[in-house]
Amino acid sequence: MNKLERIIHIEDDLSIQEVARVALEIVGGFTVKSCDSGAQGLAETPAFNPQLVLLDVMMPGMDGPQTLTELQKLPCMANVPVVFMTAKAQTQEVSAYHQLGAAGVIIKPFDPMTLSEQITEIWNTWHEQ
Amino acid sequence: MSNKDQLSSQLAELENRFRERLRVELAEMANVAKQAQSDNSDPSSQLVLRDQLHKLAGSAGTFGYNTLGTACRDLEVQLQQQLDNPSADEAIIRRLAAQVIQLDTLLIDKADTLRHAPSASEEHAIANTDRHIALVVEEEELAQQMSQTLTSFGYQVSQFAELPEVFKSLSSLDAVIVDTSISEWKAQELTEKLRTPGSEPLPLLVISSDDCFNSRLEAVRAGARGFFTKPVDLPSLESRLERSFTNYQAGPFRVLIIDDDTELAARYALILTSEGMLVESEFDPELLLEKMHAFGPDVVLMDINMPDFSGPELAQVIRLNDDWLRVPIIYLSAETNAERQMSALLKAGDDFITKPISDSALLTTVYARAQRARMVSDALSRDSLTGLLKHADIKDQLDIEIGRAQRSKQPVSIAMIDIDHFKSVNDQYGHPVGDNVIRALSNLLRQRLRKIDRLGRYGGEEFLAVLPNCSIEDAQQILDEIRTAFVALKFSADEHSFTCSFSAGISVCAAPDWPDEGLLDQADKRLYQAKKAGRNQVCSESDKAAS
Repeated sequence: MNKLERIIHIEDDLSIQEVARVALEIVGGFTVKSCDSGAQGLAETPAFNPQLVLLDVMMPGMDGPQTLTELQKLPCMANVPVVFMTAKAQTQEVSAYHQLGAAGVIIKPFDPMTLSEQITEIWNTWHEQ
Repeated sequence: MSNKDQLSSQLAELENRFRERLRVELAEMANVAKQAQSDNSDPSSQLVLRDQLHKLAGSAGTFGYNTLGTACRDLEVQLQQQLDNPSADEAIIRRLAAQVIQLDTLLIDKADTLRHAPSASEEHAIANTDRHIALVVEEEELAQQMSQTLTSFGYQVSQFAELPEVFKSLSSLDAVIVDTSISEWKAQELTEKLRTPGSEPLPLLVISSDDCFNSRLEAVRAGARGFFTKPVDLPSLESRLERSFTNYQAGPFRVLIIDDDTELAARYALILTSEGMLVESEFDPELLLEKMHAFGPDVVLMDINMPDFSGPELAQVIRLNDDWLRVPIIYLSAETNAERQMSALLKAGDDFITKPISDSALLTTVYARAQRARMVSDALSRDSLTGLLKHADIKDQLDIEIGRAQRSKQPVSIAMIDIDHFKSVNDQYGHPVGDNVIRALSNLLRQRLRKIDRLGRYGGEEFLAVLPNCSIEDAQQILDEIRTAFVALKFSADEHSFTCSFSAGISVCAAPDWPDEGLLDQADKRLYQAKKAGRNQVCSESDKAAS
């Protein structure tokens, strides 16, 4: 299993984008590429070649699930786990995201101190399966 | 610096930015909510509002504004329900919108978590001039005297010739002092006119030439928080003014809800938070006591019938802990049988609200109980002369703040303060005058310190101040400023006037050792050093020769 280094984060809320970036960079030591929209995420993904995608569910324009469908069409996304981030915590919604192919779901609000641990755990579980 | 420390400091910066953005966003949301209120047939503003609420539900909690985040989430869910199944009842949208408009009242909960409070010197500098008092007193001499005294306590004082002038400047004022001998004094009118739309009326103190019952009653009807007859005892007037601010600005009431019906609990929470209260729910009995400790509720709301135990049983468990004897427990119940209600109250608990519960009954009961509980609790833990914390309570606060400093890695400074030659003030001018000096210093300290600072009367003329998030250098500077202000105060006794000074010793819990023991001792030794070096000074370094 490779070490997780590159994460692309697609999120329209700039406050969340900033917190997640510093949390993942400082505590996790990851390299993070932040994108403001699904469209930007799709455009940046081939060049950045992420090992994991962190994806907001509710975004204007292309939402999380739509972005995921489009991402899955990219050749570089084969075997790249996608983690949803959402403020909606209903059980049925979480399982719906898993059915779409999400490797995990992170619920907002999240704790910046432990975000990297959560991501690493999802990364490890994904690779064990 | 460890990764986590580095993250903490980066987060602090992001939080400041978030807070600034939050104010703008809440104002924008309030505008959209107003649109939704005025035209609830058009769902477009409701959709915008739902998206805004959703965004904030996700981000607010991440930055520590948990209450705000939860409230946004609740409102989002309710609004979504309304969008899915539009109800003909216009009142629903209006109520939701009204709650959105009030979301900014929940911003205060962050103030409780000192993690990123402004630096000590910044905030001390603001605290002392931010209260603006209007003075409407006809007698020139009295007005001058009052103005001088209040200014020396750090208030900003403006004299007004007549009341209509005051009404024009309400938004810039913090309190009003009125002499009833002015010609246009009319009690009934005053109550309403001192209120700016959407807020509490300003604190009002009344001065009167006669001491009869009717004058007092009239003052109460005008909404007065203090009544003073001439000649006015200025230190006690200042004291009352100070206290009216303490009541006025005491933080939001904290309510803990214990109900197995989580939807109902969320609804109660929403009603209470919409009135600016902080609400948390807990249903797991294993976590209940921990939650009581961490949250420190003013009131507990409890369902009387729960699956594994009854409300009265749980109430008795809470009452086993001395710390929670003062906290009112209110049962929420469908029980209308008076006898069974009484038997529940006999076991433990203070009141009943019967289901179905109207919003206003819930609010009124919780508000009245919380207010009363806070007053009683406050009266029990505060020194009667100064209104400061008593010896044991300030020591508790010291321990709490040291623990917090160690966790948050923000220094806490501790200052021991002692009035110089106090015994000779008592001997020379008598104890009532001595009491005035003590009260004046305590008020001055309260004025100059921040809301997050803890202040107690440690002994007769000795005070203990605990200053979180404050370096020893900042503490030295602040205490020196207070010392200078205290020396400038003129006290009067009979025909004489005199001045007083104090000495202080400061210690700090800071990097690299973060000590939790010996801090009081060290502050005390430095206080002694200050006394030995000639008094009227603040000492924050140990004398090398002596140690």
